[in-house]
Amino acid sequence: MKWLLLVVLACAAQGQVTQEAIAKSPNENWLTYHGDYAAQRHSPLKQITAANAKSLVAKWVFHVEGAKKLEASPIVYEGLMYVSNTNEIYALDARNGRKVWYYRASGAKGTRVNRGAAIFGDKVYFVTADCHLIALNRSTGNLIFDVEYASMDAGYTTSIAPLAIKTGILVGVAGGGSGQRGFVAAMHPETGKEVWRFWTVPGKGEPGSDTWGGFPAEMGGAPTWTTGSYDPELNLVYWPTGNPWPDFYGGRRPGDNLYSDCVVALDGTTGKMKWYFQFTPHDVWDWDANENPVLLDASFRGKQRKLLVQANRNGFYYILDRVTGEFLHAKPFVKKLDWTNGLDDRGRPKVIPEKIPTPAGTRVCPSVRGASNWMSPAYNPATGLFYVVTLEQCDLIVASAKEPVPASGFRGTGNEGIPTEPGKFYLRALDVLNGDMKWEYPMPGPGVMWAGTVSTAGGVVFSGDDDGNLVAVDAKTGKDLWHFATGHSLFASPVTYMVGGKQYVTIATESDIFTFGLFDRE
Amino acid sequence: MRFLLLWALIPMDPASVEAGKQIYMGSCSGCHGATGEGSQGPSLLSGRAGRLPDKTLLNSIQNGLPGTSMPDFPMGAQKVAQVAAFVRSLTAPAADTVVAGDAGRGKALFFGAGKCVACHMIRGEGGHPGPDLSNIAAERTVPQLRESVMKPGARIADGFRGVTAVLASGATVKGVAKNYNNYSVQILDGSGKMHLLETREVKRLEWTDGSLMPAVTGAEDAQNLVAFLATLSTRGGSK
Repeated sequence: MKWLLLVVLACAAQGQVTQEAIAKSPNENWLTYHGDYAAQRHSPLKQITAANAKSLVAKWVFHVEGAKKLEASPIVYEGLMYVSNTNEIYALDARNGRKVWYYRASGAKGTRVNRGAAIFGDKVYFVTADCHLIALNRSTGNLIFDVEYASMDAGYTTSIAPLAIKTGILVGVAGGGSGQRGFVAAMHPETGKEVWRFWTVPGKGEPGSDTWGGFPAEMGGAPTWTTGSYDPELNLVYWPTGNPWPDFYGGRRPGDNLYSDCVVALDGTTGKMKWYFQFTPHDVWDWDANENPVLLDASFRGKQRKLLVQANRNGFYYILDRVTGEFLHAKPFVKKLDWTNGLDDRGRPKVIPEKIPTPAGTRVCPSVRGASNWMSPAYNPATGLFYVVTLEQCDLIVASAKEPVPASGFRGTGNEGIPTEPGKFYLRALDVLNGDMKWEYPMPGPGVMWAGTVSTAGGVVFSGDDDGNLVAVDAKTGKDLWHFATGHSLFASPVTYMVGGKQYVTIATESDIFTFGLFDRE
Repeated sequence: MRFLLLWALIPMDPASVEAGKQIYMGSCSGCHGATGEGSQGPSLLSGRAGRLPDKTLLNSIQNGLPGTSMPDFPMGAQKVAQVAAFVRSLTAPAADTVVAGDAGRGKALFFGAGKCVACHMIRGEGGHPGPDLSNIAAERTVPQLRESVMKPGARIADGFRGVTAVLASGATVKGVAKNYNNYSVQILDGSGKMHLLETREVKRLEWTDGSLMPAVTGAEDAQNLVAFLATLSTRGGSK
């Protein structure tokens, strides 16, 4: 019994991160992948401003041994930073980058990248490539639990940053390119036991199952590989879903293929779906809707509304009512968009039949990578602007009617770039309430980046660019304020936090964590 | 035959390992040492030796390594595989090793009279600031566990050196240094609280000689504890 007492004492000694605390993030801390439940990625910190950003200097660099492609947004709490890589996680002293603890999930299979951790109570959580949710004591890195929530033997893998809410730690899976059935699951924060699971492809006889033409749900895809957002007042989780499988050939799955390429609104307590909105019905272009669903409250056409906005991979910027799922507005945010004659008044695309991929290859814009993708956008309520990294590109997409076999590498064939039309990245600022472009910041480079943004109350937007720079631009005008060449390509989104009265900005590069702050003579 | 040899699995059953040990003692220990520690030949306990693919290990024993002093041992596939099994056992994690001793008694000692649980945790049960042991059988060999139990001061794991920081304010922080350089020190105290300190906040650091952990002196207790620790892995072992 004595040891039990010690356990109780040990637990009592540590501060608890509550849902209420996460709802107030970001502040000095950065407590969830997006920074906030609304996925606005807007920090109230304003020590770094448009006027002084030119004085930013590198503060520290932490090398992640063996890392090839870091994609995580770090979590920061009370001076500790948590950074994950494939099957491993580090806790760093956020002031100086010194390693405090390290956990590697020895025996984990799979090599998929990892996009980040979650924090809740006295624990940090991350997933392994083979779909184990791991809980560690946040101060010590001691293991609390390691539970499998999907089987790699069944083809499941994951790269997700979990989302922590009161009910559970929410996790998802990959599988849009390999034929697994997507789901979102809530795992109990203390035990890892599954609390609820929402399948993104309905089972036989369930509502929506008639949109697949008899195609097996087990192979349907609609993966859940990016982190959703959450409205604690409505207790609704907004989770984006990926493409139906096979990606590029839809002949065996006639119909809309619900709930692929959707955002689904799920009750946080039960996982029951309240509404869905499908961006790309019967997708044959691999346009996952996994871009961040950003939540905001605003007066829209004269009425105060709770909104959900998303810059979708299919090239349209959407505005939905997040209470009902009602489609309110959409507008293209790229010039290269040729697959549809616009959308109808319910947001359904009027697809141009010639843009359905064929065995001979079909030129389609946007490209398969999409007009945007999982790189994080940001929204600054003070400017009313939505900042999104955008790719102007077209692809040649080839389809095949070959018999699909899950986990075989078959995707209904694929895409290739058009050599004479290289992709070009831009950071664009859209009017959040109508999608009008207010400014753009070109990002010349090799066309390989997947870096996102963070916005600050100091009037600065930070973003990775396509040439490996972390850049700071003026939130109002897009004017270039500062940049730093990291020497790497960038596949992560920056975060900002404060420790000891000093504001920092951090971004993960391919193999290192770079942190910046204002020049300081001290 | 050669094809079969190269693709055969290395049999890790205790009988094969023991048979391999007998051959090893006669043919290999002269150069590699009686416990694989190395002398004229390289150590077989290093991470590099442990990571050799099966095929490379079997081939090196069977055919030698041309250009080095490692000769060939054309003793037949079965014996080569047995020697390979013994060599593998030298670096095999405890989770994959059959261990003598009573794991049940070891567990009772760990959570009871041994008071190990006051400083160590297993899956969230236990105290600070000792290393978490939830997955220790996957991370250490049996000889390493034995050394840690019986001679804890023989080597201090990274991040577990005892330290007391006397702060500029006069207060003290006592625990283990998770990291340390000229500019900062990060200390985990006995209550599980992490102290992130910069050098200017610290008047001086007083380091503890040796390990904070007392040695287990009784041979039977030690064996039982090792047997218990060898059961601790998050994903199970192959034994």
